[in-house]
Amino acid sequence: MQYRSQSVAYWYFAVAMVLFGLQLVFGLLSASKYLGPDPLLYILPFDVTKVIHTNLLIVWVLTGFMGATYWMIPDESRTELHSTRLAYIQLFLWVIMGVTAIIGYLFRYGTGNKLLEQPLPHKIIIVICMLIFLYNIGMTIKKSGRFTTTEGVLMLGLVSSAVLFFPALLHYENYTVSIFYRWWTIHLWVEGVWMMIMGAFLAYLLIRLSGADREVMEKWLYVIVGLVFIAGILGTAHHYYWVGVPTYWLPIGGFFSALEPAALVAMAIYAYTAIRRSGLAHPNKLALHWTVGSAVFTLFGAGLLGLAHTWPSVNKWTHGTLITAMHGHAAFYGAYAMIVLAMITYALPSLTRHRPEGGSSIGYWAFWLQITGMFGMTLSFATAGIGQVYLERIMGMGYLDTQLKIQVHFLMLIATASIFTVGVALFIYDFFRFAPRFIFEDEPQLEAGVTRSTP
Amino acid sequence: MNNRQARMFAIASTGISVLVFLILTLDSHRQFDTLTNAENITPEVTHGKDVWHKYNCINCHTLFGEGAYYAPDLTKITQHRGEAYLQAYMRDPAKFYDENKHRRLMPKQNLSEKEISDLIQFLDWVSKVDNQGWPPRPILVTGSFIPGADSVAAVAAGSADNPAGIRPVTDDDDPRAQGEHVFRSAIPACNACHSTAPGANMAGPTLAGLVTRAEAVLASGDYTGKATDVEGYIRESVIAPSAHLVPGDMYSANGTSFMPVGYEDSLTPEQLDHLIAYLATLK
Repeated sequence: MQYRSQSVAYWYFAVAMVLFGLQLVFGLLSASKYLGPDPLLYILPFDVTKVIHTNLLIVWVLTGFMGATYWMIPDESRTELHSTRLAYIQLFLWVIMGVTAIIGYLFRYGTGNKLLEQPLPHKIIIVICMLIFLYNIGMTIKKSGRFTTTEGVLMLGLVSSAVLFFPALLHYENYTVSIFYRWWTIHLWVEGVWMMIMGAFLAYLLIRLSGADREVMEKWLYVIVGLVFIAGILGTAHHYYWVGVPTYWLPIGGFFSALEPAALVAMAIYAYTAIRRSGLAHPNKLALHWTVGSAVFTLFGAGLLGLAHTWPSVNKWTHGTLITAMHGHAAFYGAYAMIVLAMITYALPSLTRHRPEGGSSIGYWAFWLQITGMFGMTLSFATAGIGQVYLERIMGMGYLDTQLKIQVHFLMLIATASIFTVGVALFIYDFFRFAPRFIFEDEPQLEAGVTRSTP
Repeated sequence: MNNRQARMFAIASTGISVLVFLILTLDSHRQFDTLTNAENITPEVTHGKDVWHKYNCINCHTLFGEGAYYAPDLTKITQHRGEAYLQAYMRDPAKFYDENKHRRLMPKQNLSEKEISDLIQFLDWVSKVDNQGWPPRPILVTGSFIPGADSVAAVAAGSADNPAGIRPVTDDDDPRAQGEHVFRSAIPACNACHSTAPGANMAGPTLAGLVTRAEAVLASGDYTGKATDVEGYIRESVIAPSAHLVPGDMYSANGTSFMPVGYEDSLTPEQLDHLIAYLATLK
């Protein structure tokens, strides 16, 4: 850790870890309800566990993004953060928002609008946190006078995330119109501006870990951003299938979302060639695993599995089935969960005491168990979804009867989800195993060092 | 390609995409009202939409295929189920489905009567939105277009007298729920030949929209039976199928319907009443 203020990242990461763990609890609960009967039908019904599961995902990934940004910006701009106090105030507000939102969901206090269930007061706090965050980062860069391309891409991604949240604050009388604008937030986040954030972290990690030439890496980062937006912006159209919007969105969605894998292929090649060209000199090989793993898993989950059902004539049959859950889980995990875990793994040896730089065997177990588990979960959703499409959508068997016939895939889902959970539990354990380096502990040493070297 | 060109590529491709996207958005706004029949968004429909949101329906069900995948899609539900059925269902889903059979059940939501009827209004508005004809084939809640395909689970569960797709009923249940049970358990079972999905004609014509069609038949001059109202028409169709023939060579020949006779004897009068009450919900 070169700059003391980077230590705020630790607390963001710690919060993210706790929320990640909680997310899995509600995920497992939701999955077990697919096997049923449900003893918690009137205490924690599916809609509640599911809304908490998805909201925790969004909140912990964003917490991770914020922590990773607070870690990365001082490194890139070679300066201390503008204000650590603001960063802590922001984290405090953010946690209050998250905790109260989840308690609210337990009592069905939410908007009932998929993925944007946060009640208005919570949405306003989210905006306030975003503004504090952007102000703090912006001031840090401004004061340092050093603004790298990687930072530029990251900042643009973060600012656009905040801007795109605004349609979510409005009220729409027409349900179809509200769907139309919901995807401005959700789709343009996950397949647009969050991809910029991910690309920036990826570039940062590859430059640091592989020692690849910054000039070259940043040039290709531009190309990736261009590819993401060519496909991603008009690719929003694949969410406009069958919801009551004009028909021209169908071919547009088909064409542009078929292009979406291009950016992800580019990202995977980007990571691979960086590693090949520069070798594996960096001691933190575990972070390298997560970094390359993220690029590859994104290509698989977001790219290939997205492509599998994005064409309108295919989607006509698969729309609204477990095929979507298959794609959703693999894509989100590969692109966002793994890149945050990569940033955490990279930063952790400097943020904590006595942690081996190269990662421990627990760390590797966490990596491989998660990869295996998530791959198995993806296959379970895929097989269940394929069964559902053929029986229910094509043969015309009733929904409930079909669900009974694909029970075995839900068993497989729970088995592989348990493997995944063990992997995550090991990651969380490994995270908290070593105490953080507190600022107040470092201060006297630093001051002593300064006095000693002063003649 | 140098750094500057790469940057130009990123900026230009983003700029053009954003521009095209905004133009299409504007054009969509021009069409939204027509496609969604916006003139039919009454205060009841809007309130129904609020009910849909308030009870977090989308985190189990899908609407337009969007939502969660734990419960059936409801885009066209009002075309599959009549209002009376949906009202009775919303009062207590457990009267219609058995958690031990399907391994899941919708919890009772305790909606007010006003909330229920507005929710149904909203779902009815949804079902009429022009959404490129999705779903391409009706998505059923239970049962099947294929006769017998849903009876396997019942055999496996060792309860052959209660076919899958319907919970066992008691006398305390809503007559319509008991009627749906008769629909599947009568011998021969009605659902062996009749679906309740629009357009899905099997050996017999679909019963979706039965009430509407019965009204039309009764009002037209072509009706040959003795019934004077819809319920009478349905009763007559069950016990004396040949009294009035639905046109089509696949349904009748020489003035005799292909539908089996004898339900008057094989069903008790109560069962018959329940069956008719259920069929009268298929609007």
